[in-house]
Amino acid sequence: MTDKTISKTPGLSRRSLLKAGFAAGAVAGTAGAARAAGDPLITEIQDWNRYLGDGVQARPYGVPSEFEAHVVRRDVEWLTASTESSVNFTPLHELDGIITPNGLCFERHHGGIADINPADHRLMINGLVDTPLVFTMEDLKRFPRENRVYFLECAANSGMEWRGSQLNGCQYTHGMVHCVMYTGVPLKLILEEAGLKTNGKWVMPEGADASAMTRSIPIEKALDDCLVAFKMNGEALRPEQGYPLRLVVPGWEGNMWVKWLRRIEVGDEPWHQREETSKYTDLLENGKARRFTWVMDPKSVITSPSPQAPISHGKGPMVISGVAWSGNGRIKRVDVSLDGGRNWKTARLDGPSLSKAMHRFYLDIDWDGSDMLLQSRAMDEHGFFQPTKNELRAARGENSIYHNNGIQTWHVKADGMVENVEVS
Amino acid sequence: MSKFLKALSLGTLIATLPLLAATAHAGDAEKGEKVFKKCTACHAVGEGAKNKVGPELNEVFGRTAGSLEDYKYSKAMIDAGSGGLVWDETTLTTYLTKPKDMVKGTKMAFAGLKKQEDLENVIAYLATFSSAAAPADQQSAAEPAAEETETASADTAVEAPAVPVSETRDGGVFGLGRAATEDEVAAWDIDIRPDGTGLPEGSGTVADGEVLFTENCAVCHGDFGEGVGRWPVLAGGQDTLTEERPEKTIGSYWPYLSTVYDYVRRAMPYGNARSLSDDDVYALTAYLLYLNDLVEDEDFELSKDNFQEIRLPNEENFIADDRAEEPHYAAKAEPCMSDCKDSAVEITMRARILDVTPGSVDDDEASGMGGVD
Ligand code: HEC
Ligand code: HEC
Repeated sequence: MTDKTISKTPGLSRRSLLKAGFAAGAVAGTAGAARAAGDPLITEIQDWNRYLGDGVQARPYGVPSEFEAHVVRRDVEWLTASTESSVNFTPLHELDGIITPNGLCFERHHGGIADINPADHRLMINGLVDTPLVFTMEDLKRFPRENRVYFLECAANSGMEWRGSQLNGCQYTHGMVHCVMYTGVPLKLILEEAGLKTNGKWVMPEGADASAMTRSIPIEKALDDCLVAFKMNGEALRPEQGYPLRLVVPGWEGNMWVKWLRRIEVGDEPWHQREETSKYTDLLENGKARRFTWVMDPKSVITSPSPQAPISHGKGPMVISGVAWSGNGRIKRVDVSLDGGRNWKTARLDGPSLSKAMHRFYLDIDWDGSDMLLQSRAMDEHGFFQPTKNELRAARGENSIYHNNGIQTWHVKADGMVENVEVS
Repeated sequence: MSKFLKALSLGTLIATLPLLAATAHAGDAEKGEKVFKKCTACHAVGEGAKNKVGPELNEVFGRTAGSLEDYKYSKAMIDAGSGGLVWDETTLTTYLTKPKDMVKGTKMAFAGLKKQEDLENVIAYLATFSSAAAPADQQSAAEPAAEETETASADTAVEAPAVPVSETRDGGVFGLGRAATEDEVAAWDIDIRPDGTGLPEGSGTVADGEVLFTENCAVCHGDFGEGVGRWPVLAGGQDTLTEERPEKTIGSYWPYLSTVYDYVRRAMPYGNARSLSDDDVYALTAYLLYLNDLVEDEDFELSKDNFQEIRLPNEENFIADDRAEEPHYAAKAEPCMSDCKDSAVEITMRARILDVTPGSVDDDEASGMGGVD
């Protein structure tokens, strides 16, 4: 950001000076000449068409256009006592396709962003292994590695909507999710390097940050598809996503994807850490609480139109766009309703369909300009359908906080404005 | 670069300087010592003072903001310092009135002192630990202090840590990594399980815990674990789990005491993790049991030996994940595609009624509407 301002300001002011001088001359010179009819953006020569723009290296690390400055993560300040243990949200309503740009992936920290020089980072494997080992980052990069696209969703995504519609915008209601391509080493290879003992039934990853985040993960999952990742979308992990190393636990709740990963212990029983007892357990209406609710259920949301992305063009052809994902595997189908769930049409899935990754869906409609109650309903390859919010409440009550994957309703009004509502 | 100083000198400095000149040394250091209790959870001052959650405050007058070498400041505070912010009566007054207003992004989790009297007194108290506390020296003290830190940080930048070389070893599939030493494993492996695995030797009483809690924890969690503002509540809430607004605490919700010991030792006090001794953590755990009415005797001593005898009341109320048996999942039926609802659909609730979208309500109104855990 600073880079951009510094390198741009002088150029800009010089150019705007030039422009001012030239425009005055031009008007004088062409006075009396016939003006062409039409859009001046077309009929008049624009600055960017005449003058040279910034050269290479003006932006050594590229940043989005200044006209995209509103596309940022946002937080809800009153949610938490301190920003070091807090969350912000992905601007889903501004994005398309299935990949989230690195700088827009939502953040959730419990002790702030740890600032770690990769040369100072170590990964330890200990517990029920033949040889407890220590790896440097360089060691890890000598293991065979894989590239995989996965969504990551915080279990508390949509958690503020249990009692009813609260926040106007899918960034806030659904923005604790992102989807990137990870490069990393299968956890299985690293565990086998240390030699798993036969009574090793659980692993516990631990972070190097000030919260020293810990979670218990069953060995079957650890050996199945978990990755120890150092890249996202081709470049090093962002500091706020765990630089230099994070765990990837495909399809399971985001809290388990321990960032700043420094240790993995193997044990014969779960540890019942704070984040799997006090937090990330789902309190039911009868006072019982579910624990180890790891999988993220099928879910979808229409990202446009949505409260932060109203319809600006009036009736006629338009694209209803949204995302769907399931911790069980691929999304097989997404249905969209325009009338609050009375009638449904199957949307078109477009782009790669990868297991435990975000899927993009579209429904191309001819809007007649009347009110719509938009809903989307995802179904995964195992036949699990996204339930309604009321079905979830009937089964769980309103105090679960986590795992709210209920169907979202947007009320689109004739003027194109959109509101977060609940329907009968 | 000097935007900060400019903003300050144009606004606050000019506005408050004449006033301060008149009231300089109006504060009472002795009374200030009492006010400073509000700071001690995070700051130490006086002989041998060390950094805690916040930096130690000896010689804070004349100190460039964010300049102690062995303390890790927020970027905001470092920027403020390199922008020219130096601590003196004026700048401390502004900062301590509303820290986050003056240094946006400071990690000092403290709302500010409301009473003018408290401000003056605590500043007078701090002045007794600063040799450069005379207001006249402030301007001249700023320059050399800033220079000093610049050279200091240049020095540290030189000695970049050597990148460790990746070698192979005998054994394993790839021969990558090296064997961890026992001391290394002991340094990091501090986790405790409900069966007591991992508990260190040691003990601590409720009474010891109370002292530790008041000093290190109460600033956020409240004297009785009731939670200050939005900081977490640690006690109470018994029998509220089926109520409309359940309060989930150690006493009302947590299944195992081992989790309390493990978590406090690894992550608390917030911003100064791993600073407590094993005995301290036993004492604090004992005190948290006491605050939750789970032990009654202030002389109660919790130790490795009796730890397993304590059971938390809600242990039995945790169940396995049975989401797949919920009717909407269990059916796995092909869902209805047309005429799925008998009557026209009606809107039953709008976000604007409960609208707590950022920017649309003031914070206090919105708090308590539920949240992220
Ligand atoms: C909850 C913890 C907490 C409390 C309570 C607290 N502080 Fe701080 N304080 C901090 C932290 C953390 C910093 C570092 C701020 C940063 O780097 O942004 C800090 C920074 C400061 C600084 C700047 C020091 C420097 O070297 O730049 C001063 C001065 C200060 N605090 C004074 C006080 C006083 C006086 C009180 C009580 C009235 C107080 N603080 C209460 C945590 C706290
Ligand atoms: C500067 C504020 C602050 C101080 C001081 C502090 N804590 Fe905390 N505490 C927090 C925050 C913030 C969290 C939640 C962290 C998170 O989100 O992961 C927390 C969480 C906890 C929890 C878990 C609460 C739950 O319901 O899950 C316990 C137990 C706890 N603290 C104990 C302590 C003890 C004991 C001390 C003193 C040694 C202490 N804290 C000092 C801010 C503080």
